[in-house]
Amino acid sequence: MQAPHKEHLYKLLVIGDLGVGKTSIIKRYVHQNFSSHYRATIGVDFALKVLHWDPETVVRLQLWDIAGQERFGNMTRVYYREAMGAFIVFDVTRPATFEAVAKWKNDLDSKLTLPNGKPVSVVLLANKCDQGKDVLVNNGLKMDQFCKEHGFVGWFETSAKENINIDEASRCLVKHILANECDLIETIEPDIVKPHLTSPKVVSCSGCAKS
Amino acid sequence: MRWEHLYQKTSKAYQSGLLPIQNLMSGTLESLADDVSSMGSDSEINGLALRKTDKYGFLGGSQYSGSLESSIPVDVARQRELKWLEMFSNWDKWLSRRFQKVKLRCRKGIPSSLRELLEQNPGKFEELERAPGDPKWLDVIEKDLHRQFPFHEMFAARGGHGQQDLYRILKAYTIYRPDEGYCQAQAPVAAVLLMHMPAEQAFWCLVQICDKYLPGYYSAGLEAIQLDGEIFFCAPAPGFPASTSASPAAAH
Repeated sequence: MQAPHKEHLYKLLVIGDLGVGKTSIIKRYVHQNFSSHYRATIGVDFALKVLHWDPETVVRLQLWDIAGQERFGNMTRVYYREAMGAFIVFDVTRPATFEAVAKWKNDLDSKLTLPNGKPVSVVLLANKCDQGKDVLVNNGLKMDQFCKEHGFVGWFETSAKENINIDEASRCLVKHILANECDLIETIEPDIVKPHLTSPKVVSCSGCAKS
Repeated sequence: MRWEHLYQKTSKAYQSGLLPIQNLMSGTLESLADDVSSMGSDSEINGLALRKTDKYGFLGGSQYSGSLESSIPVDVARQRELKWLEMFSNWDKWLSRRFQKVKLRCRKGIPSSLRELLEQNPGKFEELERAPGDPKWLDVIEKDLHRQFPFHEMFAARGGHGQQDLYRILKAYTIYRPDEGYCQAQAPVAAVLLMHMPAEQAFWCLVQICDKYLPGYYSAGLEAIQLDGEIFFCAPAPGFPASTSASPAAAH
């Protein structure tokens, strides 16, 4: 098999209120399992996911699982640095966690922007949709509207327990990050000297030139 | 008196054959001897045919230390407990006159069954327990109770003794220090303390850790840990160039 040409490494954040299932989503996504025995996240935890995006591209996702308790918000500036995208998670069975979504988005946008000054891509995850109490997201149109207003690139109903929509949500986020990166390169382009544009001169080595 | 009581409890449980040797040293006598119900309805845990724990009380999970650990013979363990009980009864004398010996014995290991602290403030814990507590903290604490050491025999069962005691001491702390309230990072510390001692002593131990040894680590603004973090990042690391660009200080 031919070796992939392109490799990308992206730091992704997973944020949202306490107990909404951030750690479970990451566990499902990276380790393909779910356990009701898990531990509260203190500070931050990490996981790595490798995606074979297409035959020529490998995408490595460094997932930062950030503690949901409010006081760890004092540390988020440090955790957010150089992230390329984020998932904001809420629990469909607890309306208060949805109300906190806008707060998390504002926190993120106030502390983190892409090198071109634009906000990073964020996907909204309505987790625990297997529990059948998702009155919040029954109105898809309303959710679309909410995402538009608050600058989310998309939203998904997810379940870490039943493995619903987690891969899809991640592909959506990565797609937007890849697209953003093309934009980024274009913005920076005027300042870049592209070696392949300069005509390749055939120069003999200095030693030969002297003789 | 307290130490004698503990000692009797230990030997009673041992004589009655309730305790395997390792557990004699684990400080989890009560949960084993008189709390069969604490295993509750947890399916994964109940699935284990034998409730075999390592010497720290773990049934499995990443903290499980397995059976490879070395264990001390019972008679040695008993000798050590007796020596320690004797030292406790003349503690000041031992510290002032035979400090080297105390140091040596500490290094051999303090028997787990004796790792309790004396009560610091009699009656205060009960008073804190009676107070209602701020729902804002209680809500967060409740969400964390089943998320501490789920593979430990004390904490495996929802609503079991371990989780109940954890709730009691975390709640008591929010009343003791309403300005600090509850920080999620306190829960695993409190749970480890509960593995070694009853709730009241564990509470006072937690107070010592949070107020005396790590002041500001768990406070609302997490000031102390952020400061320590910056010092850590700015400290010159041998073999590495200056780490300024990677330090969180640059982000502020």
